Amino acid sequence: MPEVELEKEELCKTGIEQLDELLNGGIPTGSTVLTVGSSGSGKTTLCMQYLINGAKMGERGVFFTITEPLFKLTKNMEAFSFYDKKLIESGMVNLIDLRIISERLGLDTEKYTVEDASALLDILRDIADELNVKRLVIDSITALCYRLQTPEMIRDFIFKLGSSLAAMKCTTLLTSEVPPRKFQYSQYGIEEFISDGIIFLGDIERKGDLIRTFQIVKMRGSAHSRVKSAMSISSKNGIELAQLLKSRE
Amino acid sequence: MANVLIDGLKERISNAVKINQSIGILLPGNNYSELVQALFERIRDNPDEAWVYLTVTKPYDNLMKSFPYLQNSKNVKFIDCISRAAGISRSDQDCIFVESPTMLEKMGLEIMNLFKEADENAKKYLVIDSLSNLIIYNDPEIVTEFFYQIINRTRARDIHTISLAIEEEGLSQYLNRLIYLNDKILKVRDSFI
Repeated sequence: MPEVELEKEELCKTGIEQLDELLNGGIPTGSTVLTVGSSGSGKTTLCMQYLINGAKMGERGVFFTITEPLFKLTKNMEAFSFYDKKLIESGMVNLIDLRIISERLGLDTEKYTVEDASALLDILRDIADELNVKRLVIDSITALCYRLQTPEMIRDFIFKLGSSLAAMKCTTLLTSEVPPRKFQYSQYGIEEFISDGIIFLGDIERKGDLIRTFQIVKMRGSAHSRVKSAMSISSKNGIELAQLLKSRE
Repeated sequence: MANVLIDGLKERISNAVKINQSIGILLPGNNYSELVQALFERIRDNPDEAWVYLTVTKPYDNLMKSFPYLQNSKNVKFIDCISRAAGISRSDQDCIFVESPTMLEKMGLEIMNLFKEADENAKKYLVIDSLSNLIIYNDPEIVTEFFYQIINRTRARDIHTISLAIEEEGLSQYLNRLIYLNDKILKVRDSFI
């Protein structure tokens, strides 16, 4: 797909200044973006900051967690100054434990049948529609795909989810867990092909220390930067990006 | 004798920053304490200026013990790049602790963040203490790239940079290359003060 200059209203600003610069303004609205990284790479923080910043700009969002209970998620996020509890209480940012939804739907919590996957897809779409969200996060798609039993089911699920949300002009981040120091974007090798964008959170070793890195690998319809940046996570500023020093290590 | 040294250093620093955006100070190790004292007295005596002091040489706590008049100073913020690596874990409203002196990009981010918080109209100064210690913890090529970036960013924002380089055997070829990225070089020798 050719890269085109999108109008501002067609872009979903992350609110992370340096990231929006790398994205040439923001994520094309309605895109499904895979946020890839190993454990502790900052995927959840990035996604939450994206939702909170969106809410501060008046865009409602929803965060579906599968990997950790809500109380743990909120406790971790309270350490960040960008986190605003009032946005959760007011419903501008909705936090939903997908495991509880699955239980309530009577779905098998370990393996989904085709019907289970379809029911889950419907409920995700209904929630997004009912809440009128413009930003959605699933943390993680890896944990969700684990419950889908075949590559076809994974492909079908992500494709249908992405298409429905795009129709609602909802921009989606899916977190993808990969082993550390492996150059791969997903556990099942399918997720990256159905996604419109890929953001890779990695690290490099410098004198034995790990420097966090950030790279936009793909973003359909956007003239984005492909440079590898250094990434910082601090309680004061959340995610920040800086030009990575490239001298030979 | 010490006071004469410090007064001489203060005067040389003042004169240099008046006309140059970035100055490099090359000094022997035995003049380090006097130079730091001269800088801190300058900071204390000019409360309208905004200073950021990046230390890779002495921990923040150690500097505060040696120069207690800087405690709670409104016009200086510190970035301590060595305490965390030494296992000291605490927070302070006047100091940002960077995990390791290898995290150069993080240092760059924090420097610019601190200057963003400073009064827009204040004259702004950055001290890098020191290039020689950055080279001890990192490869010289990456320190050169880091310093080049910092110098360019600070120049663009009208921030004066004062970078210290303590002469050490084996480092002179790298230090000479680095220090000459500055607009002006001060070579500190007892006899010149």
